[in-house]
Amino acid sequence: MFRYIVRRCLMMIPMMVIISILCFVVIKLQPGDFTTQFLHDPRMSPEMVAQIRTRLGLDQPAHIQYLTWVKGIITEGDFGYSFAYKRPVHELIWERMAWTVGVAGITIIFTWVVAIPIGIYSATHKYSFMDYFLTFIGFIGVSIPSFFLALVLMYVYLSLGGTAVGGLFSQQYIGAPWSLAKFVDLLRHLWIPVIAIGLGGTASLIRLMRANLLDVLGTQYVMTARAKGLPERTVIYKHAVRNAINPLISIFGMQLPSLISGTIIASIVLNLPTMGPFFYDALLNSDQYLVMTFLMLSAFLMLIGNLLADIMLAWSDPRIRYE
Amino acid sequence: MKRSVLAVLLVALLAMNVSAALPPNPLVVDPALFQEIGTKGGELVLGLGSSPRSFNFYGVVDGPSYTVIYNFLDPLVMENPATGEIIPGLAESWTIDETGTVVTFTLRDVKWSDGTPFTADDVVFTLEHVVMNPNAEGNSLDRFTLGGRPVKWNKIDDRTVEAILPVPYGAFTRVLSHALILPKHKFESYSAALNPGVEPGTINKAWTLDTPLKDVVGTGTFVVTEYIVDQKIVLEPNPYSWKVDPEGNQLPYVDRLVYLIVQDPEVMMAKFRAGEVHRITPTGQQYPALKQDELAGRPYRVLAGSPVDPTPSPPHLAFNWDVADPELRELFRNDTFRQAMEYTVDRYRIIEDVYNTLAIIPGVPVLPANTAFYNPEIEKIMRPYDPEQAKKMLDSIGIVEKNGVRVLPSGRPLEITLTAAANMQANNDIAVILKSEWEELGIKTHLQLISSTLVGEKRQAGEFEAIIEAFGNQPDPQLRKAIWQPGNPLYYWHRSTMDKNQKAVIGNMVGWELRVFELFELAEVEMDPVKRKALYDEWQAIYAEKVPVIFIAKGMALTAVNDKVGNVFTKDNGQIVGTNYTIYMK
Repeated sequence: MFRYIVRRCLMMIPMMVIISILCFVVIKLQPGDFTTQFLHDPRMSPEMVAQIRTRLGLDQPAHIQYLTWVKGIITEGDFGYSFAYKRPVHELIWERMAWTVGVAGITIIFTWVVAIPIGIYSATHKYSFMDYFLTFIGFIGVSIPSFFLALVLMYVYLSLGGTAVGGLFSQQYIGAPWSLAKFVDLLRHLWIPVIAIGLGGTASLIRLMRANLLDVLGTQYVMTARAKGLPERTVIYKHAVRNAINPLISIFGMQLPSLISGTIIASIVLNLPTMGPFFYDALLNSDQYLVMTFLMLSAFLMLIGNLLADIMLAWSDPRIRYE
Repeated sequence: MKRSVLAVLLVALLAMNVSAALPPNPLVVDPALFQEIGTKGGELVLGLGSSPRSFNFYGVVDGPSYTVIYNFLDPLVMENPATGEIIPGLAESWTIDETGTVVTFTLRDVKWSDGTPFTADDVVFTLEHVVMNPNAEGNSLDRFTLGGRPVKWNKIDDRTVEAILPVPYGAFTRVLSHALILPKHKFESYSAALNPGVEPGTINKAWTLDTPLKDVVGTGTFVVTEYIVDQKIVLEPNPYSWKVDPEGNQLPYVDRLVYLIVQDPEVMMAKFRAGEVHRITPTGQQYPALKQDELAGRPYRVLAGSPVDPTPSPPHLAFNWDVADPELRELFRNDTFRQAMEYTVDRYRIIEDVYNTLAIIPGVPVLPANTAFYNPEIEKIMRPYDPEQAKKMLDSIGIVEKNGVRVLPSGRPLEITLTAAANMQANNDIAVILKSEWEELGIKTHLQLISSTLVGEKRQAGEFEAIIEAFGNQPDPQLRKAIWQPGNPLYYWHRSTMDKNQKAVIGNMVGWELRVFELFELAEVEMDPVKRKALYDEWQAIYAEKVPVIFIAKGMALTAVNDKVGNVFTKDNGQIVGTNYTIYMK
């Protein structure tokens, strides 16, 4: 197992290189660069814009820009400089990391904690009223885009006289030291993003869990377990669920990058201080090293997530061996 | 009037003991900005459409950053928010010698918010090493380079600074009003010119958002005291503020000025309705809903005032004089054609349908409220909506109708592609209205509705036939020379007036363009305001007559403000006033 993990980690290096080249090519393929916006500014003469381009190194050929960036990472651990913010990229991303991972983490936990029990319930109470009802809610969750659901929730909450809309805190608690009142205020704000962003994921997980469990419940070893007189709880949780949950563990690994990239539009609509809106702005501005670093981080989390999922699979399912 | 100002000054002097930090010669803010004398205290919460990128005014080109920075830094001379006139700022007075090239400023005796005295060194440093530093991303070197030579700055003594202009420059004080003065003691270590070994461009890395806020000092009415990444910025009164109200009370009134960062305009409006944000600038689409709330008794007022600000930029229609198709090129260069097209623009319908009536007939392009430069004569020249007249004029230049289709002299049907930004509601809707008018005349019209970024790129590349675009109304035409004078990069409808090296090509200008070119050159070196106005009057009249671009409408100034906020109101002339330092909380 250990050798397997080491091998997978080594594999990540060429993968990251290929991904970074692809990302850079795509960024460079879009017309214009960070300085294009200045051409529309009557205060800036074209010579001045050319000077800025030279200073930022944007006048050099794309492959030189790429290699300079890579060299900085390898030799100094420097992920480049944000053109817009005039600061090192890693600092900017780090500043936003806590809330980004916090909100996404809570949302993912919400998704799983809600989805798995409901999926199990739906499968074990197949074709009951509650099964139909929860399935119905699930379909709604899958079909409504999260940013739209966020807007609807906010509208409903506002028209019912609520005031805690948008953001994570009321104004006076932003930046205040932690206190019980601040925590309560956070809870008052947090439920809308968690439901709006989480519901889509919840719904598809419910569907998956239900389908998987139904498959497993029809197999012969479940019948055997029942036949030998095991209590129904043991049959379901010890035998059936444990097998049915395998594909979901792979999905769990895939969710790791969404910790940072999550749902950009929903975060803008909900005014969350997370990486999504920040990344969106960087894309619009062609703030290339910020975009690159962000994409690399996202790709890295994807690779790590997959590895973790495989390790967890081996742990949960003794039949899986990687040697 | 003079006497009352003196009286006010006297009161201000007597009130000096109110605040120990008040300077000996404070600025009495124009009484026109006050509805009542305010009371101290309270918290004003405003919204900011996105995170600022820096606290360095010259390090970035970024609206939200400017919004915040204007609260804590000041220029030598400033625009009076009530009238737009140039009034004393950090310079309490200035004189111009008889050659018009030496301007001497006497500086106000004030302190930076950390207690360091403000001196001539700060002024000379800021202008020489930052404002006129080509490596500062938000520099204004072009504005301080006249006839190819830079303005020189000399310190005479701690309180006196002299500017030597290579040639007289009429807009000098106006451009100075956009040059905020920085504290030398906090900035000089970033200057490449003063520190051997510091890379050029390092100046942009001063005062980034991670700077300890005690180092971000200013002379403004506020100082920044808190910044929470992507969430909010808090400013508090500067103890050394040098602005006072007409009764001599040190400004600002509020204890805290908070900017909440809210990207989505709908969420911003929700926060305003919930009372969390005290003042917003609604869009024309949001206005009716808010007004309805107000009439239903919600605790806020929604004001629509006569436009005075450069934004919202007024849309205009332009035809490409350098379009590839030779027949269209000739047509678009024909004055009669463009004048005929002005008759197809139903400005009143557009104001009604597109702007919910919240717009006015624009200037060309000086705003009617801009008394310093507006030429009222243009109202007689601008052509009102009259499709019959348009038809006659098209007939007169041989663009005649055959079977409901207008054909060019070659016999080919006249087809025009109209480009506009799909994501800018007004531009998009205006394009649709124009299309229906033009088809009525028998001109086949293709709409090209694309993102505003692409529209900008097509415009600058000259890849369009007809286009709806918009530029802001800067108060002083000199500052928009790069747009309205032929031979400049943003004179985009006739790009062949400029060569590859961005130099004007006189030979490619038609007669009246040559005159416009000349008018801008003359006005630039004219120091006498009356003569400057006369020159710009002529320019406006030429534009109204020859319609190189057809101005369509100018959105009104909209503001929605919570009833808790005092001193935001509509003046008798229809202008809305209310600055952060004159606002008080009820």
